[in-house]
Amino acid sequence: MFLAWNEIKKNKLRFTLITGVLMLVSYLVFFLSGLATGLESLNRESVDKWEATAIILTEESDKSLPQSSMTLDELNGVDAKESAVIGQINAIAANGDQKNNVSIFGIEKDEFIMPNVTEGKEFSNTNEVIASDSLKEDGFKLGDNLQLSSTEERLTIVGFTDEARFNGAPVLYGDLSTFHRVKYGEAAELNADQINGIVVRTDGLSSITQNDALEVSEIETFIRNLPGYTEQNLTLNFMIYFLFAISSVIVAIFLYVLTVQKISMFGVMKAQGISNRYLSQSVIAQTFILAAIGVTVGFVLTLISGAFLPSAVPVSFDLATMILYGLILIIVAILGAVFSVLTIVKIDPLKAIGG
Amino acid sequence: MAILELNQVKKSFGTGHKKVEALKETNFQANKGELVAVIGPSGSGKSTFLTIAGGLQTPSSGDIIINNQNLTALNEKKRSKIRLKEIGFILQSSNLIPFLTVDMQMKLLDKVKKGNMTKEELEQLYEDLGIGDLRSKYPVDLSGGERQRAAIAKALYSNPSIILADEPTASLDSDRAYEVMELLKSETKNKNTTTIVVTHDIRLIGYCDKVYNMTDGVLTLEKEKQAVE
Ligand SMILES: Nc1ncnc2c1ncn2[C@@H]1O[C@H](COP(=O)(O)OP(=O)(O)O)[C@@H](O)[C@H]1O
Ligand SMILES: [Mg+2]
Repeated sequence: MFLAWNEIKKNKLRFTLITGVLMLVSYLVFFLSGLATGLESLNRESVDKWEATAIILTEESDKSLPQSSMTLDELNGVDAKESAVIGQINAIAANGDQKNNVSIFGIEKDEFIMPNVTEGKEFSNTNEVIASDSLKEDGFKLGDNLQLSSTEERLTIVGFTDEARFNGAPVLYGDLSTFHRVKYGEAAELNADQINGIVVRTDGLSSITQNDALEVSEIETFIRNLPGYTEQNLTLNFMIYFLFAISSVIVAIFLYVLTVQKISMFGVMKAQGISNRYLSQSVIAQTFILAAIGVTVGFVLTLISGAFLPSAVPVSFDLATMILYGLILIIVAILGAVFSVLTIVKIDPLKAIGG
Repeated sequence: MAILELNQVKKSFGTGHKKVEALKETNFQANKGELVAVIGPSGSGKSTFLTIAGGLQTPSSGDIIINNQNLTALNEKKRSKIRLKEIGFILQSSNLIPFLTVDMQMKLLDKVKKGNMTKEELEQLYEDLGIGDLRSKYPVDLSGGERQRAAIAKALYSNPSIILADEPTASLDSDRAYEVMELLKSETKNKNTTTIVVTHDIRLIGYCDKVYNMTDGVLTLEKEKQAVE
């Protein structure tokens, strides 16, 4: 630490620059991880809220809730501790001023996917809905009479619930008859037994249904198959992993150049009898100091700028993930120092004497 | 009493017709309290001799014995420890760390080894070397002579039993060169250590107890103090 710290103090500009670069890289990493977490919740928070084990959809639908179609009768063949039926349709909802994408969930009030109400009350009549509270930020409020695209039906917001977004759209929860009216209009009566899927809570997956036309998907599998979900995550995670590699390479190059400049100095110290171990530890310590400062400042800046972001930006910071990524950044920076350590170990003290 | 011994030491570089015998068979002894000069033309093998004596390179054959330890049998890690403990190198170019003040150069030694000079001894050393006012300066702010004196302070601070100096006065003007030799001499006498100075400057040999000549890898004793006086 003695050598490491004194060198940093004497060469402030140089080390401030590299710390600045590390800070920017970690800022970007933290921000992307926030974006990944934010986009994930945008897609899955309503499903996570069910705390379900699996979802039963038709085999043909290929794990897509809107594409799956079955009747309430299928419930009879389902062997699970708890089950809940769901009908789902996407629509555009307008309250006169605002328009928004929504996902309408038709459910049974007494089943476990019925959401809690954070404001207002539960739906009790047809065409009453509990809306995702994210709609409040878009200008929707209790009592709003919603006009829907593709149907004459109008829905009334009687309550709000939290964590209710599905595949990018805020959810409107109503009862099955509401769902049928939105989906089938005049033919609602005829299609009163139509649903999209059955959500279950149970222990084993294998024995849930014997019906070959149905497919049981674990919730995590179902989420991964939401349109765009996996692609989005892969893209963002790829960028993050790439940034890890970049910061390692930046540190490696920077330290390597510094080390090469100091070869004769290291040689002198080695001639003097100072061990490779001491010199290597000093380089590692230096890298740790630089990376720790860079990452910490990046972390703080991320949190500060996160607080000022408009709510439309889907960023949500998960501290555990950020700390993990911060540690990874410090570790890859230290890996970058390995080149320099190898260089130091190879320096022949004799050369430094310049016989 | 011999603190440093070279027994039948040879060093050659390369093989076949390109082979250079930098050091022909050499037997050498240095005792406590002795200031020894090795003079000779450039390329004659002086540095090779000094670096082998200091355990910085291994001989092709023969033994180096420092303070009763045979270096030839040891690996670089162990030789490095012996260098740290027993030897103070003073190099042609200053061997100071650029980002440490004069004081910190000494502190670095405290970090890596025990048995260095006490605070009082260091004060005395600074005073003897006339660098007391320079202790919080960085090497870049020192003149060539000041740097060389700081480097000497660093070599002496660790209380080495042997000081090996390779052309320590090469970058200094005559007055400074004499000053440095005077210092080395008094340190050697006061601390009863052994100092070997490699130089091609024959004006410096008057300070030395023994003078060896190196010619084409052959080391011969030229003068002993009695003869000089
Ligand atoms: N590492 C080496 N490889 C090959 N030849 C060397 C090496 N070191 C020294 N020599 C040769 O050994 C001879 C003695 O060199 P050196 O000890 O440096 O002489 P001096 O210090 O007296 O100028 C020279 O001919 C030099 O070219
Ligand atoms: Mg030489």
